[in-house]
Amino acid sequence: MKLAAALVAALLFAALPLLTTSNYIMGVGVSALIFTVAAAALNLIYGYTGLLSFAQLGFWGIGGYATALTVVTFGGTFWWGLVWAALINAAVALVVGYPTLRTNRHAFVIVTLTFALLATLIARDWVDLTRGALGIPNLPPPVAFGYEFGTTGRFYWIAWGFSVAMLTFLYALCTSRIGRTLVAIKQNEPLVRAQGISPMPYKLASFALSAAITGAAGGVYSFHLGIIDPLFLDFYYMQTFLIIVIIGGAGSFWGVVVSGIALSALPEVLRFSADFRMIIYGLILVVAMFVMPSGVAGWLRERRLARLRKTLR
Amino acid sequence: MTVDAVYLLQLTLNGITLGLLYALIAVGLSLIFGVMEIINFAHGELLMLGAFAMAFALPVMGLLYWPAMAVAILATMLAGLAIYEVLLAPLKPDEFERSILITLGLSIIIIHAMQYIFTATPRLVDTQYGFEGIEIGSIRITWTRVIGAGAALVAFGGLYAVLRYTQFGRAMRAIAQNREAALMVGIRPRVVARNAVVLAAGLCGLAGAAISPIQLVTPYMGQFLIFKAFALVIIGGLGNIPGAIVAAVALGLVENWIGGFFEIVWQEAAVFVIMIAVVFLRPDGLFKRGGMRVG
Repeated sequence: MKLAAALVAALLFAALPLLTTSNYIMGVGVSALIFTVAAAALNLIYGYTGLLSFAQLGFWGIGGYATALTVVTFGGTFWWGLVWAALINAAVALVVGYPTLRTNRHAFVIVTLTFALLATLIARDWVDLTRGALGIPNLPPPVAFGYEFGTTGRFYWIAWGFSVAMLTFLYALCTSRIGRTLVAIKQNEPLVRAQGISPMPYKLASFALSAAITGAAGGVYSFHLGIIDPLFLDFYYMQTFLIIVIIGGAGSFWGVVVSGIALSALPEVLRFSADFRMIIYGLILVVAMFVMPSGVAGWLRERRLARLRKTLR
Repeated sequence: MTVDAVYLLQLTLNGITLGLLYALIAVGLSLIFGVMEIINFAHGELLMLGAFAMAFALPVMGLLYWPAMAVAILATMLAGLAIYEVLLAPLKPDEFERSILITLGLSIIIIHAMQYIFTATPRLVDTQYGFEGIEIGSIRITWTRVIGAGAALVAFGGLYAVLRYTQFGRAMRAIAQNREAALMVGIRPRVVARNAVVLAAGLCGLAGAAISPIQLVTPYMGQFLIFKAFALVIIGGLGNIPGAIVAAVALGLVENWIGGFFEIVWQEAAVFVIMIAVVFLRPDGLFKRGGMRVG
């Protein structure tokens, strides 16, 4: 049932370029698809594994820069750029994750946060590599088999294919035995150990996969923008991913996907100045943490359980 | 490469003064973590508020340094009290992620509200001391730095005395070391937590006021300092106050030495590399952690 609905939704999204010729609407569509993938990757590490990672922002930026630099500085293709973005991020996640995950979850949050802010500073200050605050403008459109994805309408297909592939992969992972193990680690780690499962490889793999997917998403997004500069690592992105996950419901796959699509479109509808938008995002975050800390999906689940109890009584 | 001794000494002095100001921020974070087991993400914004309060109080006070600093400290303490009563009081000690997300939301609201009201233009803060300094030989250090470092030292002395010899401070240590036992002897965690947050906010206001004549004052100044303070808290051991001070001064020194001889990117990266190395070698921080101890 859910899968059928998802299939219909995916096909509807695929039909968007046929329904509209507006570059603006398709641009919003590209953002919605990519943000949803990044949020789903955050959901894997936070919602499923229970580790709040702020490093996603760093991975997003590293992915964007890796893809852009592969094409511009090293003369590779966009597709290889995405592969490099994923591989570099997975490697970085292993290096940062291994020492950090041995400590407690408090240290994990703080180290990942420091990592994200460090990535911003490096993007700004390592001028030889990243060209500093000027950034890298005029990223060339991706080409496949002689077909140039030059317009927003054409680029939309890349974003669509990418997000459908990544969401399918994440869904398969989260509903598998591995996904259940991750939830078990979140809920009761000593019990998982008692069952003879070592949590460390699962946590590391979850962190690395989430990093690789976020990095590739950042790579696609940088080519959608056509330019990359240190603003690509603005905290705005991290906050968007977090709000999508929290409103949708951490640990609920479909909740996060639906809220990803809905909340990416929302800022476009509410066209405030940038500062005002951030203030509203901050307010949403604070209020959501008080009113429904488990998101819309969690709220619905509680309602269903309450109804079930009532009928049983 | 020949190292100029005077240059090195100058870097060292700058490093110590900067490190002491880092320590003020990190100590506040440690204090709050020790008592409430939460991290206040909006701590950097308290610092920024302190700096802004200083920037606005100075012209009113006729550029007098100390009264303006008192105003800044009071303002941040009030802000800390408000933050505690509205947002942090309902939290339970095990809700670490929730505390981070709530204070993250708060920090974003404060930064952008300040930017909306006062714009992002950096402000230069002038005090009665201007930009004069003491000169020893060819080493020069401005009065504002000397006084900032001195104020930080006095604050640490005061904090030590409070935590060690007063009932107010003993209650904080008791909660940090054993929450259940503290409850049993009649210590109210809510009151103690409020005191800790207000005290930490005051220290942060002091840091903000002391930093404002040294650096440019912008709505974003807290963000870049707080991320170093987070790293320091990890390096020194979560909830370990002396550890945080030692780590902060050491970082100030290392940063200035690196910044004096290498590219700026290494200066920024240093704190992170040190933190990863410490987490790798000593997962509980450089100094052994055992509740909140002061001596």
